[in-house]
Amino acid sequence: MQETLETVPFSCVVNGEPVTLAVSPRATLLDALRDKLELTGSKYGCGEGECGACTVLLNGKPVNACLVLALECSGTDILTIEGLRENGNLHPLQQAFVDHGAIQCGFCSPGMIMAAYALLESNPTPTKQQIERSLEGNLCRCTGYRKIVDAVQSLADGVTSHA
Amino acid sequence: MLAYHRPTTTEEALALLPNATGTVSLYAGGTDLLPRWTRGIVPWAQTVVDLKRVHELRGVARDNGEICIGACTAMSDIESNATIREHAPVLAEAAARIACSQIRSRGTIGGNLCNASPAADTAVPLILLDATLELARLENDKVERRTVPIVEFFKGPGSTALASAEILTHIRVASRPSTWLAKWDKFGTRPSMEIAVASVGLALDLSNAKVQDVRIGYGSVAPTPLRGRAAEEVLKAKPLTEESMNQAVDAAKAEISPISDVRASESYRRQLVGVMLRRMLERARNS
Repeated sequence: MQETLETVPFSCVVNGEPVTLAVSPRATLLDALRDKLELTGSKYGCGEGECGACTVLLNGKPVNACLVLALECSGTDILTIEGLRENGNLHPLQQAFVDHGAIQCGFCSPGMIMAAYALLESNPTPTKQQIERSLEGNLCRCTGYRKIVDAVQSLADGVTSHA
Repeated sequence: MLAYHRPTTTEEALALLPNATGTVSLYAGGTDLLPRWTRGIVPWAQTVVDLKRVHELRGVARDNGEICIGACTAMSDIESNATIREHAPVLAEAAARIACSQIRSRGTIGGNLCNASPAADTAVPLILLDATLELARLENDKVERRTVPIVEFFKGPGSTALASAEILTHIRVASRPSTWLAKWDKFGTRPSMEIAVASVGLALDLSNAKVQDVRIGYGSVAPTPLRGRAAEEVLKAKPLTEESMNQAVDAAKAEISPISDVRASESYRRQLVGVMLRRMLERARNS
């Protein structure tokens, strides 16, 4: 027999805006972001936490949105790639990815940028090794890692904090 | 899943278990459970009891010379906690080597232990630290607690000493003298996102040029994380010599029971454990 899954309402803050959603108890945070809020910047890659393409910040910490139930996010503060934009302009970290050619197919870029953003928020002057370590959970199948690390390193003198 | 509960006390969490609808799952970080459900590897639990908002299960405290770690403390918090870094650095180092930052933000130490993988990265450091685990259950509507030494907690792959309506609440480790040095290392084919092919831990008190105290542990080479009692025995109460180190390596290779699987063969794992232990002993002797 098929289980009937009633949707359950919950509230959280996404990119600074309070939102109330009704989701299936089985919905992941990634499902809620992409299908309910149409924030499709966070990508579904592997669905098991191996690739990092769905990385968002949950209460300031980087997480795989595919490994979090939407209902777990009740009362939390979520930042996605869409929330980095400032006054319609790219965030300096996004601009650095463009300037360094750190984007090939672009599928891993939102996750890479969010993981790097989390690092720079907690450590504005990371070493190359710390940058590489912060991106260890993000796969780039175009294998453009070097330019990605360069892009993050170019901001390592201090990223402007996101208000 | 039909019901998702988020209790705030251990008592409330325990009271949910006997009355829940259908299959029940205790849920912490979700980094192992959730992908198994979403990918259809195991059926969804019908009732999920999320323990992350149970206050007493989170955080690290000093308690009578012991460090008391809440079972739902995230790996990223274990990794950065000042008390653990000072008094049990081997545990902080192991936590820092789990998967990647995204997983460490969510995955909890209690989840790592209750999954009971022979490869659990925090298990061998906790064996070195002689950790005791505090388990809670309800009896006549009252929370009853018992403690289990870590080596008795693991019963087999995926199997623990937890009873069906029991929750792992805390992990306790004692502070050690400054002469007590503990190291843990895991081997895999890549530095991140790696399930250990084998792991070895060694804790030594080498004061006065003699092995005063020793703990050895192995991961991924037996049905459970394993304490290396035979290798410990040959090292005890004597100086670290070529001969005693060779004997310890032989004892280690004999007391493990690795399997061949997709990550490595049985003979490779046995060889690896010997090499890893040998290098750790040499480093300890030369430091």
